[in-house]
Amino acid sequence: MSKVLIIIPAYNESQNIEKTVKDVIENTDYDYVIINDCSKDNTKEVCEKNNFNIISLPINCGLTSGIQIGMKYAYKHGYDIAIQFDGDGQHQAKYLKELVKEIENKNCDIAIGSRFITKKKPKNMRMLGSSLLTGAIKLTTLKTIKDPTSGMRAYNKKAIEKFIQNASLTPEPDTLVYMIKKGLKIKEIQVEMKEREFGESYLNPIKSMQYMVNMFFSILFIRAVTIKNK
Amino acid sequence: MSITLRIILIIASLISSFLCIKRIKQSKLKVENSIVWMIGSIILILMSIFSNAVEWLSSKLGFMAPVNFVFLIVIVFLLIQTFINNIKIAMLNEKIKDLNHYIALEEYERKSK
Repeated sequence: MSKVLIIIPAYNESQNIEKTVKDVIENTDYDYVIINDCSKDNTKEVCEKNNFNIISLPINCGLTSGIQIGMKYAYKHGYDIAIQFDGDGQHQAKYLKELVKEIENKNCDIAIGSRFITKKKPKNMRMLGSSLLTGAIKLTTLKTIKDPTSGMRAYNKKAIEKFIQNASLTPEPDTLVYMIKKGLKIKEIQVEMKEREFGESYLNPIKSMQYMVNMFFSILFIRAVTIKNK
Repeated sequence: MSITLRIILIIASLISSFLCIKRIKQSKLKVENSIVWMIGSIILILMSIFSNAVEWLSSKLGFMAPVNFVFLIVIVFLLIQTFINNIKIAMLNEKIKDLNHYIALEEYERKSK
């Protein structure tokens, strides 16, 4: 049985975090750690009141930094699998077992909880972006990833080590391209996600545009020329 | 180069050198950071004094007017400076992030003991 860590990054999620963590505790028997990215609301107090396992960052540095410290924690404590899991209540912990099983059976190095394996993508602006990213990944790696923006991903030890070695890796689609280029195998598993109940998503139209431009630039010009053996 | 431009360049260079030295004395600027500005000022002063050489070189390089050549040099100098600053900011960000992680992990270990 491998040691599994669930990394839950949280920023201003005091209304969602309790439910998310209870879901994780009830539906899985894995360890978890909440990364509180210097929330302005009382996320920290809520977690401490419930005695959750929490790491609090003294300065807000964004999601990437949150995942990276989670990876450092996983590496330091010798975890075999690290799962990135949103703290906003969109992800359901009952699917995590399937992701872990895929990695344990050595079917893949990274397992993605995907919304669109058996289901069709709905047609809206956000999904157009998702499809474009799928296209960009296909263009650079010849692999199809149907839900590249999914935030539910499980990484094995090899992938965790990549995160430790390379500080420029983000928990975003461009990292998937990097991992594929480095020879890691990626598999998607059908999951369902809920809409967020409380609080606001950080993606407004301008930020979404910025995100897409960043991702395209990174995938096509930076990650696409990753050298396999270093 | 017109005499006005030469005077302006010399005065601007002198002012910037003066400000640099003042900042260093107040220890608001490091010597190694100011050197590049001082060198820039010196080059501008030299170009104002030996304007014949600048005129000769700019005509050889095919500039319409020597002043364009002077501006080009200034722009290139500034672009290099911004690029270096950009790299430095990125490095600082990375260092802050590492410190941030280090403090958070230490705090966590201390609390869980």
